[in-house]
Amino acid sequence: MAMVSHTRDDRDDSRIVAASLEDAEAFGELFRRHAPRLHAYISRRLGRTLADDLVSETFTTAFRRRDRFDGRTDFGAWLWGIASNLIARHHRQETRMYRAFARTGVDPAEDAVAERASDRASAAALGPRLAKALASLRPQDRNAVLLLAWGEMSYAEIAAALDLPLGTVKAKIHRARIKLRSALPKEHNDG
Amino acid sequence: MDEMDALRQMRTALAQEEHPDRLALRTAWRSDPAPRRRRRGFTIPLVSVAATAAAAVTAVAVLAPGGSGDGVAPGHGGRGAASGNVLLAAATSAEKAPTGRYWHTETVIGQIYGVGKSAANSYEVDARQRSITWVGQDGKGSLAIVDELGHPVAAKDMIKWRQAGSPEMVDVPNPDGTGVVTQVEMSTQASRSPRTTPARPFDGDYFGLSAEQVAQLPTDAKALENTLLNLRGNWHAVSSTPEKQPIRSLRGAERTRALSEVASTLLSKAPAPPRVRAAAFRMLATLPGVKVGGTATDPMGRTGGVVSMPMVTTMPLGLYTAPKQLGTYERQWIIDPAGGRLLAIRDLVATPPHGSRALPPGDDGRPRRLRATDMPDRFLKTGEVASYQVFAVAEWTNTAPR
Repeated sequence: MAMVSHTRDDRDDSRIVAASLEDAEAFGELFRRHAPRLHAYISRRLGRTLADDLVSETFTTAFRRRDRFDGRTDFGAWLWGIASNLIARHHRQETRMYRAFARTGVDPAEDAVAERASDRASAAALGPRLAKALASLRPQDRNAVLLLAWGEMSYAEIAAALDLPLGTVKAKIHRARIKLRSALPKEHNDG
Repeated sequence: MDEMDALRQMRTALAQEEHPDRLALRTAWRSDPAPRRRRRGFTIPLVSVAATAAAAVTAVAVLAPGGSGDGVAPGHGGRGAASGNVLLAAATSAEKAPTGRYWHTETVIGQIYGVGKSAANSYEVDARQRSITWVGQDGKGSLAIVDELGHPVAAKDMIKWRQAGSPEMVDVPNPDGTGVVTQVEMSTQASRSPRTTPARPFDGDYFGLSAEQVAQLPTDAKALENTLLNLRGNWHAVSSTPEKQPIRSLRGAERTRALSEVASTLLSKAPAPPRVRAAAFRMLATLPGVKVGGTATDPMGRTGGVVSMPMVTTMPLGLYTAPKQLGTYERQWIIDPAGGRLLAIRDLVATPPHGSRALPPGDDGRPRRLRATDMPDRFLKTGEVASYQVFAVAEWTNTAPR
């Protein structure tokens, strides 16, 4: 008789979610696959310390609700949706950091990071202006445009993560981009 | 440069991705650091130590750490005249068990956690999870999970828990040894009823065997053993260099443990025909180190014959690259010879955990230690139940799944 065995790597995310209902250990693979990118994204929005907490909370929540993941949506989008809701709770903290950056030219989010000179140089010119504009965006518009710019997600993925119609996502991003563009100096406006 | 490019160049130092093991250590997302995050006592994966889990745990998926816990010391008494026949008697009964269109199981796994700072000032709680499966003749199944609430193990534990104010959440050490406290949600008068996940489809995978392959296993004990010896998996409890190998390449107690783990699955979760079950019982009777003797009561109050396995660690097979236990254990099966059923598996403390042991450095490069103070069973005494698995239902039936 042929002995078939499967290694965990072969399985797609939704299979692993299903397997994790019985074998909690299986969920660790999903952490391995998704945590690094999600952590980088949340770090960029809220700083690294809060990002540690929110990644933890996102996966704890996802693990607890894994029975409600029906596999019809992409697991990544579902996970980022949970994360987006958690980030939204820190809306005021996020806005305060943008404002402080705009006011002082020093980004509190990057406090803990050993910055390389190149980052500092490229960010220095436009960072505070962008931060000021980001602070003024509506929470959902900011969410959508940052999922695009920092989360490197497609419009369709953003729509799935935020559970919004595609058209709505496009409108939000369009609105946000106009506001951000107006914050840039004129010579940067022609791209 | 447009506004999107400008945005992408902002905070780039924060955009660098870290290795997941490193993140797992720092975020400790499984370990429930925030008070509002609650769980019901089950340890979710330890990515760092189980770095090899990706390839390793197919086997573990159908195997929970076992043992049955009624909190009572083992009935490991003398060998009765008929005791040697418990496995063979069970085999004969299993053979005659009815068949049906569905294989239906309900399994409860339990882990005992000590709550408190010292042995004198502590109590034990039992955290449980129940899984309910139905498998049809096409091998397709459904699975539902019930997260049951924790409860004090014995009357004396109940008294101490009440004296502590009947807390809804109790702090227990994290057996992952990360030093982060874990919580168990206790059953109280105010607590909600246990949450049941809706049943969902699952692929039967029984140590790499499909339901169809399980149905075609040999019905002769020796032939069954020979087939199982070809099963490939990671069969070590601890291995720093995990690789898949057939059970045949193992020797002594390790081989017996691997075969007995597969056998316990054939006698519980797997939709095995009655004659395959009978062969599994008979195979077990021939394995070196397996001892039969005494009777014991399982956590559901069912009495059966005791079968002891030759093992000292109960760490799941194929999962860990470093030791996770500081005690030694005895694994017992409780068997109903008349019904031909495996009733429960329980792990009794043989040597309570003590001291500590150096572990290989973690991903942060810092030395780590496994400490007895981090062990859930740190206050248990020899003979007490540390963890268990109860096969509440395991039957062929014509009743359709509800």
